[in-house]
Amino acid sequence: MFGLLQQLGPKLAGAGIALGTVYHPPSQHHYVSLFTDVVMVLLILAFVLTAFRDIARLGSGLSRAWAIGRVTIAEAWNARMWAVPLVWFAVCVLLGVLIVRGYEPSGVVRVYMTIFLRAQALILLVYLGILACVTLPRERERHTLVTTGSKPISRLELLLGKVIGLSAAGAIMLLIMMILTWGYMNVLDLKIRHDAQVLYAMQKNSYDKVQRRMPPDTGVKYLSRHGMLQAQNFVSGNLSIAGYVNYLTNPPSRLLKGGSSEILYFEFPSLPATEYYRPMFNFEFGVVHALPSTKPVTIDVTLVQRSNPMNTQEATLTLNAQGQVFWMPKNPTAFFSYGNPQTGQIYNPGPVVVKVTCPNFGVYLDIGNGLRPPNETSCMAVSLDTNRTPHHSGMVAPRANPVITGFKNNGKQEIVGPSIRHPQIKPEVASWDFPKVDQQQIPIGPHGNFTVHMVISVDKQSNEARAPVAQIVAYNTSTPRDRTVQSVYVNEKRITTIKLPSTLLEAGDLIINLRSEVPGHWFKVKDNSMIIMQPPSSFVWNLFKSEAIILCEIVLIISIGVTASTALGWPVAMLTAMVAYILGNLFHFVQSLFQSGGLELFDYVQDNRMKHVWYYQIGSFLTNVMVHILWVTVHLMPDFTRYDPLYFIVRSKDMPFEIVFLDIIWTLVCILPTLAIGYLLLRKQELA
Amino acid sequence: MVADSQAIQTRQLSKVYPGFFKSQQVPALTELNLRVDQGQIFGLLGPNGSGKTTTIKLLLGLINPTSGDALVMGQPAGDQETRRRIGYLPEESYLYRFLNARQTLDFYARLFNMNRAQRRRAVDYYLDFVGLDPSVRGRRIGTYSKGQTRRVALAQALLNNPDLIIMDEPTSGLDPVGMLEIKNMIMRLKEAGKTVLLSSHQLADVEDVCDRLVILYRGRIELEGALRDLLEKKDVFQLSARNVSEALQAKLTQIAEQEGAVEILTGRARVRLEDLFKELVARKRSGEPR
Repeated sequence: MFGLLQQLGPKLAGAGIALGTVYHPPSQHHYVSLFTDVVMVLLILAFVLTAFRDIARLGSGLSRAWAIGRVTIAEAWNARMWAVPLVWFAVCVLLGVLIVRGYEPSGVVRVYMTIFLRAQALILLVYLGILACVTLPRERERHTLVTTGSKPISRLELLLGKVIGLSAAGAIMLLIMMILTWGYMNVLDLKIRHDAQVLYAMQKNSYDKVQRRMPPDTGVKYLSRHGMLQAQNFVSGNLSIAGYVNYLTNPPSRLLKGGSSEILYFEFPSLPATEYYRPMFNFEFGVVHALPSTKPVTIDVTLVQRSNPMNTQEATLTLNAQGQVFWMPKNPTAFFSYGNPQTGQIYNPGPVVVKVTCPNFGVYLDIGNGLRPPNETSCMAVSLDTNRTPHHSGMVAPRANPVITGFKNNGKQEIVGPSIRHPQIKPEVASWDFPKVDQQQIPIGPHGNFTVHMVISVDKQSNEARAPVAQIVAYNTSTPRDRTVQSVYVNEKRITTIKLPSTLLEAGDLIINLRSEVPGHWFKVKDNSMIIMQPPSSFVWNLFKSEAIILCEIVLIISIGVTASTALGWPVAMLTAMVAYILGNLFHFVQSLFQSGGLELFDYVQDNRMKHVWYYQIGSFLTNVMVHILWVTVHLMPDFTRYDPLYFIVRSKDMPFEIVFLDIIWTLVCILPTLAIGYLLLRKQELA
Repeated sequence: MVADSQAIQTRQLSKVYPGFFKSQQVPALTELNLRVDQGQIFGLLGPNGSGKTTTIKLLLGLINPTSGDALVMGQPAGDQETRRRIGYLPEESYLYRFLNARQTLDFYARLFNMNRAQRRRAVDYYLDFVGLDPSVRGRRIGTYSKGQTRRVALAQALLNNPDLIIMDEPTSGLDPVGMLEIKNMIMRLKEAGKTVLLSSHQLADVEDVCDRLVILYRGRIELEGALRDLLEKKDVFQLSARNVSEALQAKLTQIAEQEGAVEILTGRARVRLEDLFKELVARKRSGEPR
């Protein structure tokens, strides 16, 4: 029996942790996730056990709950609910008019959408949060619960009715606000289009009369025809590799360029914490010399804990003749197990990243896919406890196809163009992988081509007078030898369009490689520098999805408010809901503080001379306890930061439906334990 | 096990309102044993603070007993399904002030899962039944007089055609005519086989309509029984007649004395003020001249 428990225990714990990721993102402190899960499961279990009769009656009970909801809406209406959208609209328009002066059309739309949607969320959260906290206490004070409670209605229906009613009130207000937003933005868009028409006519007139050398701007023409209110859909590729790639080999031969700004990232998975342990890393690369051999070849290695970027270890290693080197980090802090000497507790610190750069100019390090057999490995962590890594015989393998990035600047990666002094060294290649493009809805032109939009910045190290030219190599992974090669002039910081044959969309992934053709010209690119446009979606539908995200947030705060007011007076209930909202918004902040050691400053300090002083120890202990309580409390709160109605709409992008769907599901998952608390508090409460 | 004929039965029902300290605890009801048969009009009397309203709230499950139990229509007090058969008129008319009479009754009808046609029919019928002026039915209840509000409260208590109607001070806030109508209505309910639990300070009301009653004092039953038995003086005889001359009065008194009767009272009969008022209003309503 005990043996069975020993076997099942870790599996059950693992299942619990996995479940916890539904409620919150996975945390390195799995015991907190587990604790959260246990609390939630116990709450829901207690709810089901005590409310099973009420739940069974919910079939007919929902209509009674809706009756309560209707009265709650009437109450909100009586509390001048109708004035809220009008006040919101007046304030937003006034703010917008004051702020948007000097912005270009896209900026105007972005500012207005930000103001409108942020203000909607803020006003409704406050207004409906207050109503949620006062609705039950007010019924108690006015004794209307006495009459209602004498009717065949259960406490669950009462609770649900309040939440449904206030949520419906919120939905009504959001609908009114959405209509006002849509109307105002359309008026604004009419003005933008009119201005663009006038500007385009002026440019064209000037060009026709040879007063202006530049032809009229096609962007202005597009704006005058289509306006700014769009929800663009496009397929963007994964810019996963920026190094030289030869896809003709299997696995594709991938090279890290020495003496460049390229960085190779190996990511090792997290391991279960069982023993305090130090890893040893084995690097083995195929060394390719493009210039007369540079020996010895060195690599700069940095070891980083992904969850705690402050915990790093650096070294410069020299490869032997076979391109191999072993390395054991000297810092006593291990990277695959993390031990607290005070408590003896072993933690799993999460994934580990190994960053590799090669400082030797003219050297390429062949990494393949990073997962060769152990003897030919690019990077392996070796000699680990075999109990934890049974599938690799004591070795931890990194994820396949490690990422290579160029120098990162403002979120963009820089690829180096051809060298003037060393023309035999190949320029770096930016490669976009568009997975399964044939399944996407991509418009094909009359000549059997599709259009790729490219926006890149050019960094001219030399040859400033020459126009930047990019070489585009596009092929499908199912037919890698059937390539389309084009040289195109690059419109710096503007859209450059490329026409590619639709045959590239068939079967496998579409790969588009980009490199500079002009010596001394470097390109700055990012993931969506290369996109394939799809037909746009309706703006109003996109706006509706943003409003749905706001509604989810409002429904959650309403359920918290109503639950708090079941047992508390309205002022304390308001305070509770406010604290829950603030803590829910602080989740990622507290998590990062907790993981970076910001709140553990008073935790064990190895060399602190005060650590043996009794009052220091007590203070340290109490601080540690409080920090853990804060961490657990924050973990128990729903994560409000996930609600982001703005990200897509202000960028004129169509919000994927999956985001709305996931937010709705997540909101329901959070509401269930909240209402369970409310029901358990209200169940035996006296209504008179 | 409660007999089918019993609408209400309580056993050792007690309620103590809690306080932070023991000295602050208030015993509102102590070991109440009550039995109300179906079809009866049962009076619950007592001075302020005697536990009448507490008893009613316990029977409705609005508050929880400290000890003992109560059965209503054969089911534990507060049972959700049983509440379908109960109508409750609270002491004050606790209604939503922002709804009008129709909306109010429509709301309560929804709680009984009535469909749209049933709701419309029930709302119109009971607003007519309680005599609410049609011209005010669309106005918010917050603008009603106390009597109008009371009529709406009464209508919501009858909305589901209940088997058991619990009325706490039903005539509170009503004029004498309204009181009379309520009493007539209670008698009609009795004729329809309904059970009525009536709590009132208006002793005349109770006397006019109740079959049985209990008198509570400080949470305990001080007196219980059938109204006729409680009020009847077994050793006193009363004769009432018209056109009785002075001589005949003297003769009757003499006979009574000869037969051994004591404490003989004679004199002119008086009508009760309530009866006089009712007669007057009835005459005015029928258009009869003064």
